Amino acid sequence: MHVVIIGNSAAGLSALDSLRRRDRAATVTVVSSEGARPYSRVLLPYYLRGRIPHAGLFIRPEDHYERLDARTALGEVVERVDAEEHRVVLASGRSIGYDRLLVATGSRPGAPPIEGLAGPGVQGFWTLEDAERLDRDLRPGARVMVLGAGFVALQAAWAAHRRGASVTVVELEGRILPRVLDEEAARLLRAHIERTGVRIATSVCISGVERACGELCCTAAGTDTYEADIVIVATGVLPNDGLLPEAVSAQGPGLEVATTMETVVADVFAAGDVARAPMWGGAVGVLALWPVAIAQGRVAGANLAGAGLEYEGGLSANVTEMFGVTVASAGRFEEVPGEEVVVLRDLPGVEYLKLVLTGGVPVGAVYLGGQQAVRLLGRLGPYIRHGRPLGDPRAFFEERRSTGMVAVTPWFAHRAPDLGSAERTVTCAS
Amino acid sequence: MRIVVGDPEYCVACRDCAYACAFAHGGGFDRESSRIAVSFSPEDRVCLPLTCMHCAEAWCMEVCPADAISRDLETGAVVIHEERCAGCKMCLLACPLGAVGFDAAAGVARKCDLCDGDPACVRSCTVDVLQYCEPGEMADSRRESLEARLRAVYRKGEGGS
Repeated sequence: MHVVIIGNSAAGLSALDSLRRRDRAATVTVVSSEGARPYSRVLLPYYLRGRIPHAGLFIRPEDHYERLDARTALGEVVERVDAEEHRVVLASGRSIGYDRLLVATGSRPGAPPIEGLAGPGVQGFWTLEDAERLDRDLRPGARVMVLGAGFVALQAAWAAHRRGASVTVVELEGRILPRVLDEEAARLLRAHIERTGVRIATSVCISGVERACGELCCTAAGTDTYEADIVIVATGVLPNDGLLPEAVSAQGPGLEVATTMETVVADVFAAGDVARAPMWGGAVGVLALWPVAIAQGRVAGANLAGAGLEYEGGLSANVTEMFGVTVASAGRFEEVPGEEVVVLRDLPGVEYLKLVLTGGVPVGAVYLGGQQAVRLLGRLGPYIRHGRPLGDPRAFFEERRSTGMVAVTPWFAHRAPDLGSAERTVTCAS
Repeated sequence: MRIVVGDPEYCVACRDCAYACAFAHGGGFDRESSRIAVSFSPEDRVCLPLTCMHCAEAWCMEVCPADAISRDLETGAVVIHEERCAGCKMCLLACPLGAVGFDAAAGVARKCDLCDGDPACVRSCTVDVLQYCEPGEMADSRRESLEARLRAVYRKGEGGS
């Protein structure tokens, strides 16, 4: 059997590992347009802000593919998939036949409809190449404008700020991190960020970019203009689903897959950012997240080997640190009428923790606070995933408080009155 | 493989294990930096020592986007390699046990590493509650002790002593 995997990031790597755990005999070819050793997209901001070295970006040994007995066509662009003939046609003219194919082509940054956006000085923050270019260009004093206020955008803003650039974040919507945090957490984080000197402009629509004397001038829909040396565009990503138009969902972009990660096209699987897959809670959609890609890749890889695994459905879960504050969310954290909302602000290390519960069962949560206490959200995972009632949420976390290393119980509380229920704020190191 | 397990029945929440763990990992006696924790719920009269289970399919290891978590071939422990960890905290969010913590000073995640096969927590346990054993062994020993107690109760019922 010949298996072809297109893509060598999270989903592709995970699928190859999973396939090889079950099948050492199959012939496997990995095709990727990115020529370098597999690297981690998640780590690009850490590299840009100097937290890890360039070498730390690579997440597999140099001889990874040899070790797993996989052939490679790296640096090769796939032109099309001939599903009828079961072959992948490369731009170089070469074509590779397959018995089973995995499309793990990931996603690409979307380009907002802004006049003059394409051109020098404007770039994304998505690939290793992007990060290397920014590493070269981001000098102290550079004026940087970041378009977008999602995870990637704010990570880019933090890195640029740490490198001494003067940073302005411009967001079309009314607040930062609209899909990752609720209003209140977004408001708190925004205040933290603005205290560092980074400017944030929300509800601003940039309509055009003009270039003069190596300087960029961005015009907003109103009368505002922003001058910048570098513009980083990070307004969201789109699935690279162009190779298999017949499998693209009518509901939206992405290759629609069943729980087995199979597309409607015979012998073709999809996983990762490109896949429109079942999600926790019964819906179907694209969750462009690293852990989701790993989990989908694992199922796809097993099924490429004929294991018959089923994907249990992705649970949206995000965590990152920015400007010294750890933020995270899991599941559905925007309540609908009739649902219970619990907000806790006085747990050790927690600045803001919001839970949404339906009939006592947690369905989602938002976290903002210190670095270690984010594991409280991890503990919630099984309750959300399996629909387990939480009991008294405060008691759950208070009890966990004693597991959670601080170990103050009601029994001893009188001996440490400062850890009672008084409002505590988190001091975050930047 | 062997892991650190504790029988909640006999734990008295003295937390010597947590102090020993913190000390063994260079953290002085700051229990905040310990990788084992004892959950103590006085209302339910339950003391539960809890640390990493070194899961067969470890969520933290699978999710790590830095390839910084791997299984030690000697001990079977799921180990975080600090020099590769970028401090992204995905493992903290992934662990359903809350067994992964964060070392703020070093900016990396930290968890139980089984002390290369000689866990400090087990050595320090004053009441021998913590065992470094196969997960099944603990179940066996619990069953034996339960049987012994049932036998004692039965003998009393029979009029014995």
